[in-house]
Amino acid sequence: MAEFWRWKEYNWKDPDKDWKTAKMITAGIDVGSVSSQAVIATDGELYAYSSMRTGSNSPDSARKALEWALQDTGMKQENIQYVVGTGYGRVNVPFANKAITEIACHARGANFMAGNSVRTILDMGGQDCKAIHCDEKGKVTNFLMNDKCAAGTGRGMEVIADLLAVPIEQVGELSFNVPEEPEPVSSTCVVFAKSEAMGLLKDGWTKSKVLAAYCLAMAKRVSELLERIGVEKEFFITGGIAKNAGVVKRLEQVIGISAVQSKYDSQLAGALGAALFGQALLQKEKAAGKVA
Amino acid sequence: MAALEKFEHWYHNRHEYAREWKKRTGGKVIGTFCTYVPDEILTAAGMLHSRILGSHEPQDVTEPHIFGMFCPFCRDSLAQGLKGRFNYLDGIVLAHSCIHYRQTFDSWRAHIPTEFTYYLPMPNMVQSPSAKSYYVGEVAKFKAALEEYAGKKITDADLDRGIELTNKNRRLLHKIYEFRKTDPPKLTGTEALYIATTAQFVDYEEHNKALEEASEEVADRTVDRDPGIRLMAVGSENDDVEFFKMVESVGATVVIDEQCAGTRYFWNEARIQPDRLQTISDRYVERPPCPTKDYPERQRFPHVLQLAKDYKAQGAIIMQEKFCDPHEGDNPVLKKYLEDNGIPTLGLEFDSTNPLGPFRIRVEAFLETLRTDDLF
Repeated sequence: MAEFWRWKEYNWKDPDKDWKTAKMITAGIDVGSVSSQAVIATDGELYAYSSMRTGSNSPDSARKALEWALQDTGMKQENIQYVVGTGYGRVNVPFANKAITEIACHARGANFMAGNSVRTILDMGGQDCKAIHCDEKGKVTNFLMNDKCAAGTGRGMEVIADLLAVPIEQVGELSFNVPEEPEPVSSTCVVFAKSEAMGLLKDGWTKSKVLAAYCLAMAKRVSELLERIGVEKEFFITGGIAKNAGVVKRLEQVIGISAVQSKYDSQLAGALGAALFGQALLQKEKAAGKVA
Repeated sequence: MAALEKFEHWYHNRHEYAREWKKRTGGKVIGTFCTYVPDEILTAAGMLHSRILGSHEPQDVTEPHIFGMFCPFCRDSLAQGLKGRFNYLDGIVLAHSCIHYRQTFDSWRAHIPTEFTYYLPMPNMVQSPSAKSYYVGEVAKFKAALEEYAGKKITDADLDRGIELTNKNRRLLHKIYEFRKTDPPKLTGTEALYIATTAQFVDYEEHNKALEEASEEVADRTVDRDPGIRLMAVGSENDDVEFFKMVESVGATVVIDEQCAGTRYFWNEARIQPDRLQTISDRYVERPPCPTKDYPERQRFPHVLQLAKDYKAQGAIIMQEKFCDPHEGDNPVLKKYLEDNGIPTLGLEFDSTNPLGPFRIRVEAFLETLRTDDLF
């Protein structure tokens, strides 16, 4: 059976950089509830990364993500001088020098990816959603997380993609294929939303219309979180759902603010922030003479 | 067993303790609902005050009796009764606070056979000029009911003994809490939680003795852990030991609390007055209030802030018992009040069991915002 929720895993390296000339090599590994990313930074710049599905074993997921990021770079794990683990599996990254929460890492990563004028970050992750305020350095000043609920998360979107047999990458685009916006489905629970979507299909709704109703429900759900903390400009979205225009565009409409665009992959924010914290921590250790 | 370990032992073996006390003394054990029950009177009557607390385990026995949207503490407490864990109790007493708790008491009374039950109408409007004159009359009736039940008069000498023992307990709790003020704190929040919670169900003479010994032990202590960030816990019936342990394992120490399982139980002493019952009843009208009674003026907030300042808390965790309306009414305003006064807060919603993973990420991220050893 086709698995419509299954998004593509990938890796990348900067072909123009030679890591051997770098003074400092650090890595950030974000073991999330649904996906894991590894980022390798050389002298505080993005050098290579990978993004994969998280397996049942966090240490394995961390190891695999790092191995894949290292692939074809000629770099070995021992060349990396400092590793920071983040994400819900942060304490289970076996080779990490330090664990830092994904809340701090997403803010730091967003600061790098979208500039130091970012003040509000929405991280729409696999199984939770976070609204974060930060200062010009990317240091967290306040945050809120959704409670005990998958509505408004990537996993919820996967469930709907599977139900409608629509590949997850196409959900956003297809959701705009409606003559007018329908009413949103239930925004409080993925299980309710799924039952509702099944009913709507029976009533003759097109897949696009159901997707539009689901994307709108998700946008409204996360907007409540943002309203509770307040949206200060600039506003930036990280995490997998940031790639779903069906949710992002509707969210921008609901809150009346457009999100900053970045050339970087939104899903990297956590791992990238972790790698950059690794860089700062390594610098401090070097300055203190703890490492060569 | 070192004195300090006794509190943890009592906390985890409260039922065994009460049964053993009963066997040893032949006295009556009275289950108490709410920290507004005047334990002085029970002590004067030679009875053991035995606070009814939950077990923090999932349960499915209360559903037919009280609503699912009643607070988890109430449901957890009733579950203990329905499961027969408090079957040694001779009586129960509720001092009125909130409706959820009253329904819990009523349900207990209706479904669990108990010899003596008493509803003590503690006024909610403690700020009214007539609160004290009203409550002293109610406390007198409570005393008479206990006398009738026991078939024995409670004498002035008994009342003096009850007042003396409870006041001494409060003084000793204050004294041991002083060790939380030091830098680094000599007492962890988890230890303090065991200490303060057990005062609500251990014989005062024994608890006082253990407190005296424990204070000496703690005074000589050298702290070998990194205390991290100094936090305050603000809440209600939050004897959430596992939560406190988790917080203190990720780079923080809870240095002070404002909750029923803590300072709200013991903070003020009974002021000695010529009338013994007035001495006792005034103490409850004057104590740091529960949100149910903190109206129209919010007198609790300056008290919370003063505690945070005195114990040098760098941040506060506001522990909201799910569906607890009185606290839900206070917390958004309290959060702003503390933050305006330089105490950052983290709000968490508690159920009877603690979702430690989701709580941990929130607590760690909160601590990261409070740390000055920055990552930049």
